[in-house]
Amino acid sequence: MLRRTFLLLILLAGSSTAFAEKPSFTVGWSVYAGWTPYHYLARSGILRKWADKYGITIKVQRFDYAPSLDAFVAKNIDACTMTNMEALDMPAASGVPTTAILIGDYSNGNDALLVRNGLQIKDLSGKKLLLVQKTVSEYLFDRAMTMNGLRDQIKQVRLINTSDSDIATAFLSDASSSAVVTWKPLVSQILKQKGITSLFSSSQIPGEILDLTVVRTDVLNRPDGAGQRLAKALTGAWYELMGQMSGTGPSADKVLAAIAEGSEDTLESYKQQLSTTKMFYTPQSAVQFGSSADLKQKMALVRQFCFDHGLLGSNSQSVDDVAIAFPDASVQGKPDRVRLRFDTSYMQMATQGKL
Amino acid sequence: MSTRFPLISAKPSRLITVALSWFLFVAGACLYLYTAAARHRENPEDRVTPTIGQMVHGMFGAALTSPDQDVDPTQPATVVQRFSRGMLWKDTLATGRRFFYSMALLLPAVVLGLHMGLFPYVGAFFLRFVLFFDKIIALSLLPILFIAFGIDELSKIMLIVVGVTPTIILDTFNLARTVPGEQVVKAFTLGAGDFDVAYRVVLKQIWPRVLNSIRLNLKAVMLFLFAGEMIASTDGLAYRIALLRRHMGMDVIIPYVLWVALLLFLVDLAMRLVNRKLHPWFRES
Repeated sequence: MLRRTFLLLILLAGSSTAFAEKPSFTVGWSVYAGWTPYHYLARSGILRKWADKYGITIKVQRFDYAPSLDAFVAKNIDACTMTNMEALDMPAASGVPTTAILIGDYSNGNDALLVRNGLQIKDLSGKKLLLVQKTVSEYLFDRAMTMNGLRDQIKQVRLINTSDSDIATAFLSDASSSAVVTWKPLVSQILKQKGITSLFSSSQIPGEILDLTVVRTDVLNRPDGAGQRLAKALTGAWYELMGQMSGTGPSADKVLAAIAEGSEDTLESYKQQLSTTKMFYTPQSAVQFGSSADLKQKMALVRQFCFDHGLLGSNSQSVDDVAIAFPDASVQGKPDRVRLRFDTSYMQMATQGKL
Repeated sequence: MSTRFPLISAKPSRLITVALSWFLFVAGACLYLYTAAARHRENPEDRVTPTIGQMVHGMFGAALTSPDQDVDPTQPATVVQRFSRGMLWKDTLATGRRFFYSMALLLPAVVLGLHMGLFPYVGAFFLRFVLFFDKIIALSLLPILFIAFGIDELSKIMLIVVGVTPTIILDTFNLARTVPGEQVVKAFTLGAGDFDVAYRVVLKQIWPRVLNSIRLNLKAVMLFLFAGEMIASTDGLAYRIALLRRHMGMDVIIPYVLWVALLLFLVDLAMRLVNRKLHPWFRES
């Protein structure tokens, strides 16, 4: 009797896995040197291979940056690429608990403050500065002023909120604007003009502008475990591609050219962007950075900036209301209000070859 | 079998008319409140669909706090003072100023359309070009507008001018052509000159229709104005919305959008009343 029930159970279990739909997830990405690899991951079949291994389906969708954040906050997509700052002030501050599973890179010169006519940073007071306000661009500007001891002059600079799709032409054609903060490839395009110099770039604040892949925490903790399989598949696929990207010679170039295609870019231009992007090509390097005290220090700066600029929402009375948890279980902010987590465990598995 | 009552001839009572006309408003509000409540049950910190309370709170904040951080909030100030320094008022002033400048620039368009319709040489000179220009999607020419007019006020107003004036010109042109030729001839035989005919016979008759046409284009004007403010600016209603979008400040965005709708409705209403007052003989409006 017992045996027959057992057999029946096995049959049932077998049939239900055979007929049930595979859990399906959507990853959103937007054009940026450190995220365009997703285009290639999807096209080359690397991602499908890993998804099949973990018995799930992963769809990859390209967005403009701001809409990708909206879609993630609205829970239309399960995973998304974003910076540490937006992970904090968009989903986390909107009450959508978010976990960073991959630390892909940090901006090491991709974002820059450019000026005309050899201006110095102390001359910016009273001048027009074009930038996309309330983003990493304003963060970079804030840091540039602070590190040069000009914090009290920040308010004297006339910030003009300019859409990133028009910022290059707007700055180049308007001689009355003295400075601009933007990112590559726009930076390279603007620097080609005579008389424009770079005053400050993200290479002076290494590790503060991080590019992450995040997953909604409730997706990650799905009771059927499919969320964890998603994280494992993404991590596995990511480091397989990182291995190919970091190589040298024609085979690596072929991969890089195919990635560049994802943003209608050329191999040369993409390589130029990578030169100012500190990619964590190996899971070891990412895990090391993710578990360092450095990360906490940088996140403390970022969250203070977000709070000072009202980016944590009007309900947040204190910077501690949107708390961040780190891999060693330490928390910045109120422990009962953890909204953003850095989880290095999947990258750790990759270092041990356990994926 | 009795004859079927035609629905077209129905005369609903006043009560039913009022109830029907508000039904969709109430249904929309209910649907929103239901969604907001459901989303807040699931996630109390939801920012996508703020509750009424959050929106009221957000709007009070926007109306009473200054966008410039140099104003000391602890200093005592009356509500009126705080409101006049608040971002809602400042944004409305900035957007309103641009709006009225561009409306004023539509008047020359009316004059041009009138002349094109009446004077064959002017028509021959402009018509083909304006017809072509009318089909240009102004937003895609932004880089050229920046080069020609800078990134300050002028480029935003020019964006509206480029986007909306061709429509107004062509509409006035067509209206001017509808005035019967007999009237023009009659005016000439009574001793009128060219400009008497243009301004005192033709323009006077088509003016209420021209005003209607401008009224219908209010939304296009606002659309271009918003696009301009979102692309590059330091103040204005659309500037604020663009900034708030960066951190999902829907608790202020939704009231802002309703505020803009109210303002547009009031401008539209004012134009309709003026039109009726000035042209009591005109029955189409």
